[in-house]
Amino acid sequence: MVFVTVCLAFLLHRLMPHASLSLLFLTGVLIVSARTGLGPSLVASVLSFLAYNFFFTPPYYTLEIANDGDVATLLFFLLMAAITGNLAARMHAEIDMRRTSLQRISNLYEFSRRMSSAAGTEAVLEALADHLAWSTGRTVAVLVAAPGSLPAVRARAGRAASLHPADIEDAWSRDEPGPAVIHAWHFLKLAAHNEPVGMVAIQGQVDAEHIDLARSLCDQATVALDRTRLVADLEQARLVSETEQLRSALLSSVSHDLRTPLASIIGSTTSLLEYGDSFSTENRRDLLATVVAEAQRLDRHIQNLLDMTRLGQGKMTLRRDWVDLHDIVSSAVDRLRDALKGLPVIIDIADTVPLLWVHGVLIEQALVNLLDNAICFSPPDGRITITARAAAGRIEIDLCDDGPGIPENEREKIFDMFYTVRQGDRGSLQGTGLGLAICRGMVAAHGGNVTARDGRNGRGTCMRIVLPVTRPDGMDGE
Amino acid sequence: MNTASGTILVVEDEAQIRKFLRISLEAHGYVIYEARLGKDGLKLCESTQPQLVILDLGLPDMDGQQFIARLREWSQVPIIVLSVRSSEAQKVQALDAGANDYVTKPFGISELMARIRVVLRGAEEAASAPTVFDARGLRVDMALREVRVDGTPVHLSKKEYALLRLLIDSRGRVLTHQHILREVWGPARQDETHYLRVLVGQLRQKLGDDPASPRFIVTVQGVGYRLAVPAR
Repeated sequence: MVFVTVCLAFLLHRLMPHASLSLLFLTGVLIVSARTGLGPSLVASVLSFLAYNFFFTPPYYTLEIANDGDVATLLFFLLMAAITGNLAARMHAEIDMRRTSLQRISNLYEFSRRMSSAAGTEAVLEALADHLAWSTGRTVAVLVAAPGSLPAVRARAGRAASLHPADIEDAWSRDEPGPAVIHAWHFLKLAAHNEPVGMVAIQGQVDAEHIDLARSLCDQATVALDRTRLVADLEQARLVSETEQLRSALLSSVSHDLRTPLASIIGSTTSLLEYGDSFSTENRRDLLATVVAEAQRLDRHIQNLLDMTRLGQGKMTLRRDWVDLHDIVSSAVDRLRDALKGLPVIIDIADTVPLLWVHGVLIEQALVNLLDNAICFSPPDGRITITARAAAGRIEIDLCDDGPGIPENEREKIFDMFYTVRQGDRGSLQGTGLGLAICRGMVAAHGGNVTARDGRNGRGTCMRIVLPVTRPDGMDGE
Repeated sequence: MNTASGTILVVEDEAQIRKFLRISLEAHGYVIYEARLGKDGLKLCESTQPQLVILDLGLPDMDGQQFIARLREWSQVPIIVLSVRSSEAQKVQALDAGANDYVTKPFGISELMARIRVVLRGAEEAASAPTVFDARGLRVDMALREVRVDGTPVHLSKKEYALLRLLIDSRGRVLTHQHILREVWGPARQDETHYLRVLVGQLRQKLGDDPASPRFIVTVQGVGYRLAVPAR
């Protein structure tokens, strides 16, 4: 800088009066002081004076001081340099402080953002460990205590270091406001509702400022921990109430589905018993037929309930065997022969469909439930088609009806348990609200799925069962 | 087999239940109309003017409660409700909406027959509004405000008499707690069931009625009370 000033001075000393050159050197000193600190500015001022003296004051090119005015100039130079250098140094210190505090604030902000968005306890603890380690530059461990037991390490950050259980126990048992210092570890308690819930351990020397910082981070973390705990509690409460709802839906469904056939059976039999003598033969036969049909219906309901319970408990054991799809379909249709009441069922199974390695009874039940639904929704002149074909690695079975169809937004809901029941006493048609849920459960047990789709030509509904083509385990390898 | 006469409308979505009701009721000489849906039932009610409606609470197209409310807008025909719902609240709601009695499914045919006879007879007598009620040894002369049990005069307080009159006027119907409280004490007291329990206790005591096997006032658990009327 002094060199640049000397060069400039050489260029300019012909243009301006000799005394003004000292101003040029002063400017140079000012710039140097503003940029650096006290030391460099003093050096710059001495150098500037020497250069000024050497080049521009008579006698030229000597360091000799010719008159007293030059001594005054030297003093001014030094004074100026001291003042500005000092100012500049303070300014620099100020800027540095601002910068670190800005960083700390943004660090805190980032921390609180992570805290408030943390979804669970784990995320909160990890964020706490990270930020503590980052801001103190030490190894940090976060410990959490279950009620009635010692805290255990749940999150850590920094270099791997081991905490002795004895130290943890010691720190945990201490009841002092400040941090407990044991074997180069600083322990700080985490408290929620004035109850200690855990600790933060920081390794090595930590100054008071960092302790304060750690404490404020811990405070934020406990708030976040409280929040996540509340969220978890709420979730738990919601689950419980949902289970409760499901249970009461099950009860009312069971009571309804079992009692309705029973009502017919008891009504018919008591009628026969008490007034049978006055009935015509035809009416008597009619009532007896009702009893049989209703008893069978009751049996189906009970089977459904049993299936549902087994599916719900995950105890459905598959007894797989080779089965011909033709057999399953025809047996399902056969079981519902009475309910069909002459409704045509068109079966079309492609030749490419291989033998299935499934639990035949379950797949048949799934089909029966779908068919039962299709019958319920079919208009009197409708027809039902069952088609099956093999596609890449899987078999698709479509069961289509000419019914009213299912709106797009309900196509998933129908597989919910009791969906039809929720719509009133028994929905608009016969059904337990279990049938489709059971169907899906049984197909899912085979690794397949069931979906509702548009019917043929935009009419009615197609239910599609997709089953993967599987082989017995033994046949793959051997 | 005794024969009765009358027209009954059965509104029920279960074909099997309609079937045995029709066979049994027709064997008793009733004329039966059947409807599967609530809206058809309402239409049939208008065109055939039956003397009794047997209504299933769970209909495919409308709630049974709704059906009662709609029917009660223009008709006082007695209604017997059939329901698989065993919850008291449902029964109370149906009775408050204007149903006369209910039978819980599953039921034996003779139980329903007895209810039908009581309801039909009650409606008949209430319509003719006699000034003297006389049944099972209980004789109430409404003109003289005189009550006798087996010939012995019984002195009743004002409230006790009001309750007895209410039960007699509504014979053939189950009266819900709320209904009685409203009628005897006024709307402000309609949730104070203990008033009613005490009053019924007093009335039974004065009439010499045993709550365990009531002769006059029958408790319908969780729902209300009804007057025991002999079925013809």
